[in-house]
Amino acid sequence: MSAPTATPGPDTVATPPQRRTTPTRWLRRNLFSSPANALLTLITGPLLLWAIVAFGRFLFVTGRWDIIEVNLTNFMVGGFPRDQLARLWIAMAIMTIAVTVGAGVTSATAAEAAVAAGRDPSVTLRERVQRAGPPLVLLLVLVVFVRTPLPVALLAGVLLLGVVGFRLGRGIPPRWRGRTYLAAVLAIIVALIAISAFGGVPRDAWGGFLLTLYYTVGALLLSFPIGVALALGRRSSLPVVRAGCSIFIEFFRGSPLIALLFVGWLILPFFLPVGFPTPDLVTRALIIFVLFTSAYVAEIVRGGLQAIPRGQREAAQALGLSPWKQTRLVILPQALRSVIPALVGQAISLYKDTTLVLIIGQIELLAVAQNVTQQEAFIGQGYIVETLVFVSLIYWVGSYWMSRESQRLETRLGVGTR
Amino acid sequence: MRDVSLTGKALSPGGTGKVMIELEGVEKWFGDFQALKGIDLQVGFRETVVVCGPSGSGKSTLIRCINRLEEHDRGRIVVDGTVVSDDLRDIQEVRRETGMVFQSFNLFPHLTILDNVTLAPIQVRHRPRKEAERLAMELLERVQIPDQANKYPGQLSGGQQQRAAIARALAMEPKVMLFDEPTSALDPEMIKEVLDVMEELAESGMTMICVTHEMGFARHVADRVVFMAEGGIVEVNTPEALFNDPKEDRTKLFLSQIL
Repeated sequence: MSAPTATPGPDTVATPPQRRTTPTRWLRRNLFSSPANALLTLITGPLLLWAIVAFGRFLFVTGRWDIIEVNLTNFMVGGFPRDQLARLWIAMAIMTIAVTVGAGVTSATAAEAAVAAGRDPSVTLRERVQRAGPPLVLLLVLVVFVRTPLPVALLAGVLLLGVVGFRLGRGIPPRWRGRTYLAAVLAIIVALIAISAFGGVPRDAWGGFLLTLYYTVGALLLSFPIGVALALGRRSSLPVVRAGCSIFIEFFRGSPLIALLFVGWLILPFFLPVGFPTPDLVTRALIIFVLFTSAYVAEIVRGGLQAIPRGQREAAQALGLSPWKQTRLVILPQALRSVIPALVGQAISLYKDTTLVLIIGQIELLAVAQNVTQQEAFIGQGYIVETLVFVSLIYWVGSYWMSRESQRLETRLGVGTR
Repeated sequence: MRDVSLTGKALSPGGTGKVMIELEGVEKWFGDFQALKGIDLQVGFRETVVVCGPSGSGKSTLIRCINRLEEHDRGRIVVDGTVVSDDLRDIQEVRRETGMVFQSFNLFPHLTILDNVTLAPIQVRHRPRKEAERLAMELLERVQIPDQANKYPGQLSGGQQQRAAIARALAMEPKVMLFDEPTSALDPEMIKEVLDVMEELAESGMTMICVTHEMGFARHVADRVVFMAEGGIVEVNTPEALFNDPKEDRTKLFLSQIL
């Protein structure tokens, strides 16, 4: 008879063995597991500590953040006329509602899918904080630098609108949910009209974070459908279409973005037909970003298309679906799903590449960081460190947030797909 | 209720006498390799034909030519009066009337079982969603997986997936069903549940062509068995005649190896 206590009787429920770990054990296992690792710990530990202390000192003691405080509006909108700022707040409110309604719809769909799959649909506070964390940190930093009460009040109003929008989105009945993307497109158009129409502000007067966002969001939204079309075109059975798409993709992937921006700046106007009004520089740069990004999106999507087994197309054919419906309903949804990480990577890369417009004289976020150090009060005092740290935070929050959301999307869509 | 007069005569439709599928001198080449060498075959209305033969004999190619998943190079294929040609409209017509079940199921992994089954009726036949879902649930009950309707294909066992695939094909209310080795990718204990569904389907009067290695199924359910080798039809006969008294040496050799 072996030890009777070791085997659980029929009445007891087997539980996995508990691993107890003491701090000493943890240290030995993770930091001093071998002489080489111990040495590494002894070297990197103090270095890390020094870096944290130095950065903390900079943030809270030696950093001269008055340059951010004085120039906060410059960072946000650049040379945007100050008497027209109300237009931006209106645009922001419209976009906030559109985005949060969309988020509400997504969350409702996700909750229903979770219930259908027999999982708990509730979202824990911890998850909410993790998701909203980075944008909230940025918002907090911005609010800290605001000197007058009005923007804070307006920001609070926009946040409130966001909450209302989210609730609204959750309440939208399923059969209307498919239409919400139309509402989003409409919101963007209305927001753009609110800024530039009716004696508004021409795009060439935009700047700062506003310009960065315009390039990023605009280029993403426009390049995605073009990229998908190019990817499908490159696999077309018509040689002309195939060749045309291949040439387009290879040309834009083979050219440096900076060179293309110069083309948009200096050469593009000469190619326009006589009498055709030359678009403003911001629009020209946006076109370049769209073309450049769509070539990369096309190659990413093509990879996704190639990964779909041939049997999927055959099954769709055998059911009598038309060629376009085979692609739209069976092939594309699977292909796009599998390339979400790469697409988000492209989005992040685009977000950061928008800084390149600074070489064609556009004052976007990074250019503002450089320009404000030339102001009389700050010139020649090395303020560039503070401004760069500040804009880095903005870029980091955007990039990190995108990558986190993509991970969430992957896990959510990954459920039960294979 | 098989109202079949089994003549045992090669190439004669075994069903009610009406011809459903007609192949005449069908040839198919893959590059320099000839996969089908002049196939002549008629399949009668409500007939169940099992196609067997060694691997590489052209069985799958044959039934894939019928709904134009493969393009045949010579000869004529007629399905319920429609000639399979380059004309996309004719091809769509044939595909609407022909259901196909694949060895690897080929369910759409991004859709639930219910959506897999309703996709084609809604998109091709333009059925209202409600009606399509009702029909889909009836079919899922027929293949005995109504409780899996809201799951995704990846959450089902192989046998359940194949039955869902059969329901998906039936949802188009086809006149012909083509089975391309439907049980070859299944674990042994799941083969029977799929064969049972196929047998029930045959008994209900569906016109079927099945490529399969399940000789028990062929013996039990088929009206006629077609034996193929090296791209040609070697022998066609009733299962009793073909299995008990094969005429050709090639057939004898094959049967001796698998039985």
